[in-house]
Amino acid sequence: MRRLILSLLVMVLLFIESTPVFAQMVVIVNARSGVAAMSRNEVVNIFFGRYRQFFNGLEAKPVDLVDSHPDRARFYNGLVGKDLAEINAYWSRQLFSGRMTAPPRLRTSEEVIKWVLGNPGGIGFVELSHADARVHVVFELNP
Amino acid sequence: MPAQKTMLVRGVKPVRWLLLVLGLLNLIMAQADESSPAFALSGFGTLGATRTTTDEVRFVRDLAQPEGAGKRWDGRVDSMLGVQGNLKLNSQLEGVVQVVSRYRYDRSFTPEVSWAYLKYEPDPKLSLRAGRLGTEFFMLADSRMVGYSYLSVRPPGDYFWSLPFYSIDGADAVLSLPLGESILRAKVFYGISDERIALENREWKLDGSPMTGGYLDLQNGPWLFRLSYANIVFRNNLPFGSVLGNYLPAAMAQQSADYLATANTRSHYYALGAVYDSGPWQLHLMLNHIVQGSNAFQSSDGGYLQAGYRIGPVTPYFGYSWIRSDQRGNTLNPVVASIMADGRADQSTTSLGARWDVVRNVALKAQWDHIDGEPESIFPYRRETKAWTGNMDVLSLTMDFVF
Repeated sequence: MRRLILSLLVMVLLFIESTPVFAQMVVIVNARSGVAAMSRNEVVNIFFGRYRQFFNGLEAKPVDLVDSHPDRARFYNGLVGKDLAEINAYWSRQLFSGRMTAPPRLRTSEEVIKWVLGNPGGIGFVELSHADARVHVVFELNP
Repeated sequence: MPAQKTMLVRGVKPVRWLLLVLGLLNLIMAQADESSPAFALSGFGTLGATRTTTDEVRFVRDLAQPEGAGKRWDGRVDSMLGVQGNLKLNSQLEGVVQVVSRYRYDRSFTPEVSWAYLKYEPDPKLSLRAGRLGTEFFMLADSRMVGYSYLSVRPPGDYFWSLPFYSIDGADAVLSLPLGESILRAKVFYGISDERIALENREWKLDGSPMTGGYLDLQNGPWLFRLSYANIVFRNNLPFGSVLGNYLPAAMAQQSADYLATANTRSHYYALGAVYDSGPWQLHLMLNHIVQGSNAFQSSDGGYLQAGYRIGPVTPYFGYSWIRSDQRGNTLNPVVASIMADGRADQSTTSLGARWDVVRNVALKAQWDHIDGEPESIFPYRRETKAWTGNMDVLSLTMDFVF
């Protein structure tokens, strides 16, 4: 047991995350959604499936990124201070208790923008530099 | 919760369930042509090893297990495997079947259908499900088997031992409403149990016992509060068989049987929970109060507190849980008293552990529990001896995964 605790401590020291490289993440919606701005709690509610409508009643269609995309870790770390293992644990509880399935996970920011353009209720997150005039930025994560 | 060294026999009506699942798949396939349904197969599992510091009782994860861990490492307590298929027919309709294999009442790992339902969401605010559903008497009760989804090695026994019910055949409805930036969620469920509880070598059928319940959730940012209530009306009496008759004169045996009757008695489950989940912190505080309608069972109060703080991929955690059952004062005779004593629980557990998210979708956990109780506190255990002191340590190692 003592050896186990010791090795766990060593692991902690070895694996403490380095601070992610600066990148301003923003939440984008379809420009025709009628949504101008959102609060952090509203963004959390939608990306965690707690509530699936915008303030105007439009059904939100959130989209996520695959784990290997660095923006995914940045986004959730900035939004709720959680790492991806915790986010994935959350979704496995939702999935295996039959409550809901996680939003689709796309591979690139381009695909996220395409999704948002293709769905009136589409909502996703990208790096600020990727958000062009076709989409609307409703929330900026403070770096 | 059923006393008498109960072993839960989870709904085993293989033929009936196979038919239901096939019917569900058939329905799903029939619909499949119309839209573009998405099928997803996923699963979860745990490989675990558990040992204690005594052989005077056997430690079990829950009442489904007829045999538990002693001083030798035991893989049966926590190991399990679940596979789930989700078929999304369109944006409103989904079919789900989940099968779980774990160490169960008949000392086998025979897989069982734990979930099989259709979910209909006519509106983003409303979710309706019908079929075989997990019960949610207490918060997190419907994901007790998914080790990857929570911090500790297993749900705290002091809190969940009193809850041997896992599923109903019925329906539930969840309504979610915004309240400013908070979300108010209300759930109601009703269903019939298809489970059985084994007493030593007999079975007590819960079959046909209706369960009704619901909860009210308030979620605000990192906070989640829940108030819940549920009840079950037992359909049948405990199968004492000839036990009473062997030890008591006929008239007294009948009187004792009437006194210990469970048929048509109602047990009530009240619970209060608060979760704080933000940044590196995870805090849980849960309280329950159980009122048993039958003299055969002891009403109880229980609770747990759990706090974890993530440091990189490792989350050390601390837990404290307790259960105290209320002994009923008057008993008819020593035989009845000894039956009633089987439902006694009076102990607390202090836990220390760590979860290490070693690679994607895999977590390793190590946990130490110190159980501090009365020698009469035997309710959740198996094969207790006269030398049982009420105290022991439990050491657990698990690997949890999802796919």
